[in-house]
Amino acid sequence: MPSEFQITFEGKAIAAREGQSVAAALVAAGERCLRVDEAGNPKGAVCGIGFCWECRCSIDGVPDIRACMTQVRPGMIVRRQRGLDGCSER
Amino acid sequence: MQRAIAIIGAGPAGMAAAVEAVRRGCRVTLVDEGPRPGGQIYRQAHPSLAGGEFAEPAELARKRRLIAAFQAVIDRIDYRAEATVYAVFPNGEIHLAQGDRTEVLRPDAMIIATGVREQAIPFPGWTLPGVMFAGGAQAMLKAQRVLPGRNAVIAGCGPLPLVVAAQLLRAGGRIAALASLRSLRTMLRHPGSLWSGRHILREGLRYERTVRRAGVLQLTGYVPVRAIGGEHLEAVALARIDAEGRVVPGTEQRIACDLLAINYGFVANSELVAMTGAEMRRDPLIGGWLPVIDTFGRTSVPGVFAAGDGAGLRGALVAECDGTIVGAAASVPSTAVGGATLQAELAETVARRARHLDFQQAVRATLRLPLGLWRLVTDETVVCRCENVRFGEIREALASGHRSLNAVKRNVRSGMGWCGGRTCLHAIAALAELATGEAPTEMMTPRPMARPVPFAAIARQKKAAAE
Repeated sequence: MPSEFQITFEGKAIAAREGQSVAAALVAAGERCLRVDEAGNPKGAVCGIGFCWECRCSIDGVPDIRACMTQVRPGMIVRRQRGLDGCSER
Repeated sequence: MQRAIAIIGAGPAGMAAAVEAVRRGCRVTLVDEGPRPGGQIYRQAHPSLAGGEFAEPAELARKRRLIAAFQAVIDRIDYRAEATVYAVFPNGEIHLAQGDRTEVLRPDAMIIATGVREQAIPFPGWTLPGVMFAGGAQAMLKAQRVLPGRNAVIAGCGPLPLVVAAQLLRAGGRIAALASLRSLRTMLRHPGSLWSGRHILREGLRYERTVRRAGVLQLTGYVPVRAIGGEHLEAVALARIDAEGRVVPGTEQRIACDLLAINYGFVANSELVAMTGAEMRRDPLIGGWLPVIDTFGRTSVPGVFAAGDGAGLRGALVAECDGTIVGAAASVPSTAVGGATLQAELAETVARRARHLDFQQAVRATLRLPLGLWRLVTDETVVCRCENVRFGEIREALASGHRSLNAVKRNVRSGMGWCGGRTCLHAIAALAELATGEAPTEMMTPRPMARPVPFAAIARQKKAAAE
């Protein structure tokens, strides 16, 4: 694996480094809103360590993956879930 | 037959317990959610993410020493990284999920070393992106080499906000303000305890110097009362509060920021130990609901041990001693635990633990929260973030007689979402005490799943077992 590569978030290219979490790569790129909840509220990373589940994203078509607990891989496709739309491709 | 020990958590307590149990010839399985051992305090970056370390050299040395001791035995244990325990049963079964598979462990003894999580006092606007826990923001810096914000306000109580502010500054961040509920000089009221912790105190003073030299605006007695922004955080309103925790009128200050990192102390991750049926007690100052344990970390359930901060917040050095003691106690037959041989072998570690515990008296003085501070939670404030339950609904449920946390949960759904009450349970307990004058006597009953797990992962295990 190259040590620096790209992932995409909502179709945008985001720079990432091997060993980083998805949440860290997104925050470093200035992306604060990682999800929109059922009531329409924007949500971001909160606990940073996996207990709050606020940063869950759709990753490579699988919904509800914690961005802070998932390490980046080259070409990863990350989507912002909106309410009950988990952006599932399964 | 080799004794089988399962350890949950690879922080200081879990790592030290594993080292000790291996040394005593046990077969050890260690389950941890992180990608690398270390837990929260000794969280490690991926090897390819070289970069600056912003913690004090003495802390880094402690981290390196314990991780090296653990790495020396790692080939002799069944170490499960990125694995989640989602249930523990009174019969001693541990159910874990790893990737898309689940598995059941049936060890002779289990050591639950699940640590603590951060505590927040909710306030209007705290659900905006950009409001984080201070330790979570620190984790981004420590393990990800990422600045969680360019212009941060850090707030709360105890030592962590100062440490995080200093580390963010050292990493090149800007701190717009550091708001502390009370001065860390509160520790001076415990001079004897400070002497026991003088090495740690020296590290704290160096963090303090970093913040002072940077000319950071330091507001003592101030707390965040409102987070302001649209799609994300843009500013925070800080205000001074009095000794009862009431906002002092006319003291509000609005400060622009893109990160608000808060920490009001810690809550024990005691859900798994409670699931075993172990007797619990409540002490909000050191983590809320905690298992009742003896010197050797034995809970009321035979074969179930608890160690480290998850058994009562006492810091990494105590946790490491705990791990050694509990690792030893879990490795011998139950009849030998109280025996003279084990007592003699552990005497030095028990004495060292007592010295570290002494310093914790001083730390605790900085973590005390006046109950009135929970008045920051207005009726409109979202308390349960997962289910968007506002305090007004919880207050009405309490007023209409739903006094237990279980009854509140069943009526307004607080604690029923993705995090299972991890983020709001302690807040609801404190709010119930403030509203009714009575502290809840029982925790919200923790049940499987302790973490959400895909049905498919469980179905696969059942299918494999049937074949």
